[in-house]
Amino acid sequence: MSEFKRLGIVIGYEFLKHIRRKRLYVILLLVLITEAAVLIGFPALMDGFPDSVKLMAALLSIGPTMAVIGAIFFSGDAIAGEFENKTGFMLFTNPVKRTTLVIGKYIASCMAVAILVIVAYIVVCVSLLLIYQAIPFETAQSFGLCLLYGACVVAVTLFFSAISKGAMGATVMTLVLIMVISGVIESVLMLAGQPYWYLISTAGDSITMVYGGIELMLAAFMPLEEMGNFPFEIESPDIGLSVLAMIIYLAAGLVSSLIITNRRQLS
Amino acid sequence: MNEPIVIENLTKYYNNFLALDNVSLKIEGNENVGFLGPNGAGKSTTLKILCGLIRATSGKAYIKGFEVSSQKEKALSQIGTIIETPEFYGFLTPRETLNYFGRLRGMRGSHLTDRIGEVIGLVSLEQWLNVKIEKFSRGMKQRLALAQTLLHDPPILILDEPALGLDPRAVIEFRQIITEAGKDKVVFFASHQLSEVAQICKHVAIIDHGKLLGYDSIEALEQKYGTLENAYLQLTGVPGE
Repeated sequence: MSEFKRLGIVIGYEFLKHIRRKRLYVILLLVLITEAAVLIGFPALMDGFPDSVKLMAALLSIGPTMAVIGAIFFSGDAIAGEFENKTGFMLFTNPVKRTTLVIGKYIASCMAVAILVIVAYIVVCVSLLLIYQAIPFETAQSFGLCLLYGACVVAVTLFFSAISKGAMGATVMTLVLIMVISGVIESVLMLAGQPYWYLISTAGDSITMVYGGIELMLAAFMPLEEMGNFPFEIESPDIGLSVLAMIIYLAAGLVSSLIITNRRQLS
Repeated sequence: MNEPIVIENLTKYYNNFLALDNVSLKIEGNENVGFLGPNGAGKSTTLKILCGLIRATSGKAYIKGFEVSSQKEKALSQIGTIIETPEFYGFLTPRETLNYFGRLRGMRGSHLTDRIGEVIGLVSLEQWLNVKIEKFSRGMKQRLALAQTLLHDPPILILDEPALGLDPRAVIEFRQIITEAGKDKVVFFASHQLSEVAQICKHVAIIDHGKLLGYDSIEALEQKYGTLENAYLQLTGVPGE
């Protein structure tokens, strides 16, 4: 039996795991609540929907971004859980390469994230059609970037899952890296006028920035002429560099998790 | 080299702790071998190295001639194992679990379906075949682990305290199943229970403090020491000595 066929089997059962667990549906619910909050909250607070369909699309992209961040919660235990819960004593004694198991887990997690992202973008598209009777072309780009960001975040989560003793540790470490450490460094570098395209949080921003950069978002809340009063220059991240950063994080996360899991002992 | 299990000069350190000290052992033919020793003697470490779960610091282990660390998949295809207290994915049913592991081992179609029926019947879990494992007691998980071990009909069984925590009736059933399986398989069986080992195995290996103290037939040990119990006590040393 080829390792490729075994990979298909692993993907199937790992995906079944995600489908059977409540956390997938909890994250889906949170995504839908977030989208509903934007759709109800913005017109209530700002006297109606914005004139720009791109701005509204950008605002609604918080849902898909949240779906990707939520993926951390069901990828965190992918490897660490086998050691923590001792299910590895059953799984790892089968004649399957650990590389196959890790890649299978990775692909299954990506598939679960893709489901969340697809549902979120369906909500975005239906909402834009109902409100503006139009969907900006950039939504397709945003969708592609979001899928890539999902694959990147799952790879980074898998890395932390490979080095952690427990699933909770892996989940918390990934969240802290993306939401806190990377976010803080991004803000500091932005204020200092230094390049920050290589940060994972910046790469994630590209999902929204594809619609027109930071200026578009700020325009929703402040007149454009007042933006010149900022004490620093705001520069939107370059989409191409963001894609490069995501590919680097994806490759580094996946390769390092493969190496670590292959070396890790179940004692 | 085609012996079922060959262990050559295995040494294993956990940081500075010496868990195995140059252990060598060769199981030839269709022997069932009990692996005896007190807690922390090195039994589980030896079995985990044989199953490719941990790496030896030095030395080699072979299953049917396949070196475990360099030909792990080939070696693992020859064995069925129960290591420590078995845990399964709670979101799967026994049928799905056995399907998963059976398919990973290349089984499929009606052969796999029939075999799942056979092994589930053997461990008396027929009524639980489609119930999620998250609802299972420890004893039921042990039964399922035994079914999983036998599913692909491997020539070698490596079992680490498989009846630990089972009620007396289940222990007897387990013993009967393993004894029956052992008629045409090699069973390498770690246990604290001398009587249990004596009923399943004709040979025993005794280990303590990471050193193999003896490997012989139970008959030979009984001739030399009077009883298997005496052999165990004398070889592993009286507490305090």
